[in-house]
Amino acid sequence: MNSQIFHPFVLPFVLGMAFVLTYCFVGLFKVILQLPKDDRRQFLRSLVTPKTAWANIRDLFGDCLFHVKIWKRNPLLGYMHSAIAFGWFMIIVIGHVMLFTLKPLEGVEVEGFARTFTNFYYPIFFKYFAEETPVFAFLMDFFLLMIISGILIAVAKKIHSKIVGVKRVTKFGFADNMIRFALWTIFPFRLIAEKTNIMAFWWLYSFDLLIFMFMLPFTRYMHIPTEALFILMRHAGLNAREPRKGYALAQLYSCPSCGLCIDACPMSVNDKMSGNTSAYFMKKLRNKDSEEAKRIAETCLMCGKCVMICPVSIESCDIKFSQRAAVPYEIHSDHSYLDVISTEAERSGEISSTKPKTLYFAGCMTQLTPKIMRAMQQIMESAGEEYDFLDKDGGICCGRPMLLSGKVAEAQAMIAKNTELIKKSGATKLVLSCPICYKVFKDEYHLEGVEIQHHTQYINELVKNGKLKVKKADVNYVYHDPCELGRAYGVYDEPREAIENVGNLLKAKSEKELSICCGGSLGSFNLTQKERDEITSNSVADLMFNNPDEIVTACPLCLKTFARKSPVPVKDIAELFVVHQA
Amino acid sequence: MKENILIIGGGAAGMEAATQLQKMGLTPIIVEKSENLGGHIAQWDRLFPAFHPAKDVVDQMLSQVKDIKTYLNTEVADIQKDNDGFHAVLSNNEKIDAKAVILATGFDIFKAERKQEYGYGIYNNVMTSVELEKFFRTGKDERINNPKKIGFVHCVGARDVKVCNTYCSKVCCTTALKQACEIKEVFPDAEVYTFYMDLRMFGPGYEDLYLKTQKDFDVKCVRGRVCEVSENMDGKLVIKAEDTLFGKPLKMTLDVLILMCAMEKNKSIDTIQQKLGIADNSDGFMQNKDMYLGMNGTAQDGVFVAGACTAPKSLPDTIGEARSVATQVFNYINNK
Repeated sequence: MNSQIFHPFVLPFVLGMAFVLTYCFVGLFKVILQLPKDDRRQFLRSLVTPKTAWANIRDLFGDCLFHVKIWKRNPLLGYMHSAIAFGWFMIIVIGHVMLFTLKPLEGVEVEGFARTFTNFYYPIFFKYFAEETPVFAFLMDFFLLMIISGILIAVAKKIHSKIVGVKRVTKFGFADNMIRFALWTIFPFRLIAEKTNIMAFWWLYSFDLLIFMFMLPFTRYMHIPTEALFILMRHAGLNAREPRKGYALAQLYSCPSCGLCIDACPMSVNDKMSGNTSAYFMKKLRNKDSEEAKRIAETCLMCGKCVMICPVSIESCDIKFSQRAAVPYEIHSDHSYLDVISTEAERSGEISSTKPKTLYFAGCMTQLTPKIMRAMQQIMESAGEEYDFLDKDGGICCGRPMLLSGKVAEAQAMIAKNTELIKKSGATKLVLSCPICYKVFKDEYHLEGVEIQHHTQYINELVKNGKLKVKKADVNYVYHDPCELGRAYGVYDEPREAIENVGNLLKAKSEKELSICCGGSLGSFNLTQKERDEITSNSVADLMFNNPDEIVTACPLCLKTFARKSPVPVKDIAELFVVHQA
Repeated sequence: MKENILIIGGGAAGMEAATQLQKMGLTPIIVEKSENLGGHIAQWDRLFPAFHPAKDVVDQMLSQVKDIKTYLNTEVADIQKDNDGFHAVLSNNEKIDAKAVILATGFDIFKAERKQEYGYGIYNNVMTSVELEKFFRTGKDERINNPKKIGFVHCVGARDVKVCNTYCSKVCCTTALKQACEIKEVFPDAEVYTFYMDLRMFGPGYEDLYLKTQKDFDVKCVRGRVCEVSENMDGKLVIKAEDTLFGKPLKMTLDVLILMCAMEKNKSIDTIQQKLGIADNSDGFMQNKDMYLGMNGTAQDGVFVAGACTAPKSLPDTIGEARSVATQVFNYINNK
């Protein structure tokens, strides 16, 4: 114990801390001011709403300190992260508790500003200035060792990432590597300083803290303070509207570049394409590399797997959409044809609003895969359904491709016309055989009184209530979850339940929320055919894991894409229910 | 000098190469997987640009190879190379030793089902150019029932990234125009349309055929791709296309639609090709040594290629390559 209240080695820390606090507060106000007025009101209101406030507290602890989501996916990585984050948090807390319970400054003549100033650095260098009690000493050593154990795993991961079950890691530049080195050495220095009381280590410890805090805003470690703000904003239900402003900015700074999305991304079939993953997109956009950010936003397949797997729950697809919308593309589309389109029923004047009617919308992609359309027609006939086609004679696009390219007004024109046609038809159920359409009808259309079903759900329902009679054959099927149906809407069980009525269902290597994009996604603007083929082959290999006789899809685009590369026949789920009818 | 030369494939390339090699004093042996010699050309009725009967050409070729040792219904099951040359095992377990190998395995027709939007195998009245040729030969096809309106779609499975074939299949343009004239001969009152991207009339007399098609046969050539085909209540085909010269979309009802299917590499030889260490080129055909002086050579010394196994080719191209491969093999044997 040194009976003094100040030593110059605390200054680097104090300087760093003052800098980082100023930066964070300025940033906080900047982000909040950048929010559109309505969003800001919504955000502030959410802070005092009991339900969201509770979710905030739960996730602030669960996500920021304990990293529950990483634990679930990879316990070793989970331990690594929470050992460092939670351990560090605890030694800061215990430092403060000691300051206020052991009262080391009692009797020392310090008042006013000086008193406040000591509070600032005392908990960080407690052992230099004051004596701990044995219980506190044990706790401090325990958490310090816990942090160091986390750091040891991090060092091992850096040397050989496969030790912790990670194939590809994010590649970092100089600043990120340097701050990481600072972070790794802070705690060993502190341990040595506390145990030996050698002045040089107290200085090194303090300087490490300065480096860490000074570099924090310019590196990925900014996620530590920002994630808290992001959690609050996410619970407020905000949407990213501009790629580098407000909510999106908070997300950019919350991305820890952990790289878990790299292994998850369907594009990571080779090194070059793994540079298109969300971890890099967030980094480039944050560093204002707008060319690269634009390129990656336009390359992404938008399958949503990175969003699903992200331990911070960053909505990177939404940010990519906002990035796309921010680019003025020179396309001026003519939608004057919308005025003259009508349904067949409308033309023949036979609109019945009395009977419950099913309306089937094939959509552009199913129009190009007439086998599916035909199968759907046969199924509806056999089930004795009273149905009508919304687009038998060429209909209007659902609007999704325009939305994917960020053209909201154009999409809305189509959505309005389709809504009008559906409402006029008097139908109570709308069936879609394309998940791309399904998503847009679910998200963007307001069709009160009309139940929207994907054909996997519809067919399952027809079989369940006995309208469609089928028999089980000894064929081994594997089912591919389309991104827009699975990850977006969690429709995993109905298609599987349906298939089990007509054959044996085998498992793919990656299923349900981990399903791999077929590679044909409309989401990407600039992947080459060769790159897409590589993604497709990888996805097919994943499906062929248990040697099925046939691959079953529920998306016309996946069907066409897989058919090119699959060694076994690829069929839409509807075709199965024509072949196996009783 | 009686050296064995193993020729895999008994189509136009294989037969012509065999004929020439025999004249040079070598011993060609043809291994053909089907039950007849003649390959695709034997399935054809008449040849462009002058409507010459294919049978004439095939019969001449057959008469020239009648003394050449030929295995029908036979494939090469295995092949090894050592200092003495090549040792092949056939599917009938016979063994053949040869000093050189010629791959004359030709092409396969693009499976039209893969282009589902054209409705082949789904709608009754969609057929392929190969099936139409059979109709010309036999006069029988239940789909062709005094049609009033007939359409041809060019580039089915060619120049199409969506099916992973970016190459031009070379002969389909001229074949389509030839077939359009022929169907017009059979049904003079029918309206005939062809839907093309570009018309590649590359050979002698081909451009004249194009003019003749329009002037004498009144075939309407529309520049634009067919995007979608559907069937109406009467079983007729409704097609949607774009007329890019008028800049307008069009919709048309047809009685019959003919798909001009592209050539793709014949994949039945893939395992032997791999054993011989010959890769595919970016179009999926076999990679030859180079496009110019080495066009008949391969990465494997003693293995030669001729005909459509390296790229889509017309019959005159194929005969030319078959003759040149014979010269190459002759030189190879003599310089050994």
